[in-house]
Amino acid sequence: MTDHAVRGPRLPRLAELKFLAVGACTGTAAWFLLTGLMLSVAPIVTLPLLPRTALAARGLAAYERRRTGRYLGTAVPAPPPPEGDDIGAVLTSPGTRRDVGWLALHATLGLLTGVLAVASPAGVVQNVLTAALWPVLPSATTTLDQPVRSWGDAGLALATAAGYGLAGAFLVPPMARWYARLSAARLAPRRATLVERLAEVTATRAAALEAHGTELRRIERSLHDGTQNRIVAVVMHLGMVERALLRDPQSALPMIRTAQDAAGDALSELREVVRQIYPPVLTDRGLRGAVAALAAHCAIPCALEAAEELPRAPAAVEAAAYFVVAEALTNAVKHSGARQITVSLRTEGDRLTVEVTDDGHGGADGTSGSGVVGIQRRVAAFDGTTRLHSPPGGPTVLRADIPLGV
Amino acid sequence: MRIVIAEDDALLRAGLTHLLRAEGMEVTSAVDNPTDLLAAIEADLPDVAVVDVRMPPTFRDEGLRAAVEARGRRPGLAVLVLSAHVEDSYATELLADGAGGVGYLLKERVGKVTDFLDALHRVADGGTAMDPEVVAQLLLRRRADDPLRSLTPREREVLGLMAEGHSNATIAALLTVSGGAVHKHIGNIFTKLGLPTTDAGHRRVLAVLAYLKA
Repeated sequence: MTDHAVRGPRLPRLAELKFLAVGACTGTAAWFLLTGLMLSVAPIVTLPLLPRTALAARGLAAYERRRTGRYLGTAVPAPPPPEGDDIGAVLTSPGTRRDVGWLALHATLGLLTGVLAVASPAGVVQNVLTAALWPVLPSATTTLDQPVRSWGDAGLALATAAGYGLAGAFLVPPMARWYARLSAARLAPRRATLVERLAEVTATRAAALEAHGTELRRIERSLHDGTQNRIVAVVMHLGMVERALLRDPQSALPMIRTAQDAAGDALSELREVVRQIYPPVLTDRGLRGAVAALAAHCAIPCALEAAEELPRAPAAVEAAAYFVVAEALTNAVKHSGARQITVSLRTEGDRLTVEVTDDGHGGADGTSGSGVVGIQRRVAAFDGTTRLHSPPGGPTVLRADIPLGV
Repeated sequence: MRIVIAEDDALLRAGLTHLLRAEGMEVTSAVDNPTDLLAAIEADLPDVAVVDVRMPPTFRDEGLRAAVEARGRRPGLAVLVLSAHVEDSYATELLADGAGGVGYLLKERVGKVTDFLDALHRVADGGTAMDPEVVAQLLLRRRADDPLRSLTPREREVLGLMAEGHSNATIAALLTVSGGAVHKHIGNIFTKLGLPTTDAGHRRVLAVLAYLKA
């Protein structure tokens, strides 16, 4: 990272001192947040404050992750974000637990190392000032609580200052490096979490490959058994027409009609296959336009919430989002009994969020209905997440977050 | 009839030109991009422009946009838009100006030459030619309490043919019923759907399509 160059060999102590000194400030903040967390858990009445404090703790951890990463010159990996913006998701997220653990470290050891680091230059300054000003300020004492009443005492005070300076110069850099590494280790997700994550990615990758294979076989079948045969029929009938024209032109007419019908069938099958691979309207109009068309075709009144200029996402992601909306709408029409559906599309950071909400009777089951399972599989193939919230009585919210992968 | 063709596929462009010339029509220009199309319309003053939806430079919906723009410059200019796939929202865009002379058909309909020529003449005369698949898309999405459900199968057929832009006489011929029967069916349809009765021209198509879109 660039900060390596800034804290080059000439002033190594300053960057380290600064790292620990800022750590003292954030450590103080961590102390307050930790106290706040404990205080709001204890009495029931203050529980509503908990999510806010937890969010602030996550914010502080995120800030320290960047700062420590800059100092160490390697980015500190962040734990996965909570699966949703709601309070429950934030509080139960493993990332929050990890951050609160770090908060305890930073509120104690972080604060302590910071104060120690700041004590060195502060001690130098106080002792030097006491030594210099003893004739006018006889009541001032050194940091060791020694009064300065003579030039001899003043010499002693200067020696103390030198001691502080030397201690700082020798102790601050290793302490800063040690604490930065410790803090970074606690800020990063647990190693086990990374292993679990890797297992998850491997599993979704396998599922994605499997789904892709099934899709390819399906496309192959419909082209091979359907379209190709129709075109063979066209060619065959054209051959018959050729022979008939030489013998008896009148007899060619029904064959021409058969050929034409077969070609027409081939074309409508091709259109259907193309639509399943990549809906042409996505190319023409982008995701917003394509989903607007879906919403317009929905048998239940369907509103679309999306920015007029939704940024273009990779084609595969747009297609996945399109099919998610299509399947969610089909499900809602079939099962929800809803009177109004809202589809929302937005890009937040590095992910595309699709949300389909209906005001139906709820109670949708993410395990049995093949529709939702299909959506989950499609989204998981992109390492995305699907959440279905459908309490009895509704409303049903289906949300898919798909990483843009850019 | 003077015709301008815009189609980027060389084989289809040549085929379409050949087909129309063989039927005794005058193809004044056959171009392969939207810019040349607009220029050709300015220069040739055709009776109808036959336009492919996907054209260079981005191969999205340039042809459709060019057709809408050409109608903006020359209100009432008859355009017949051809495409490999149909979207009812595109039809809505073409019909948005409320003027007649609009056609929107799947490319393969060209193969049924008689029907295609009929559609071309209808559009050139200020009528409408909607692809049956567009109408099917519109008929597909219906709510549970839709008055369309009270139509008899025959009335639905008549409604579909009206939406495609056919005249009463053509509908009667296609369904092999009498003109009087068609007239009665149409009366029933308009009553059931609560639509004001209009003449049999382009405005009736617009009213029916607007109803189906709603």
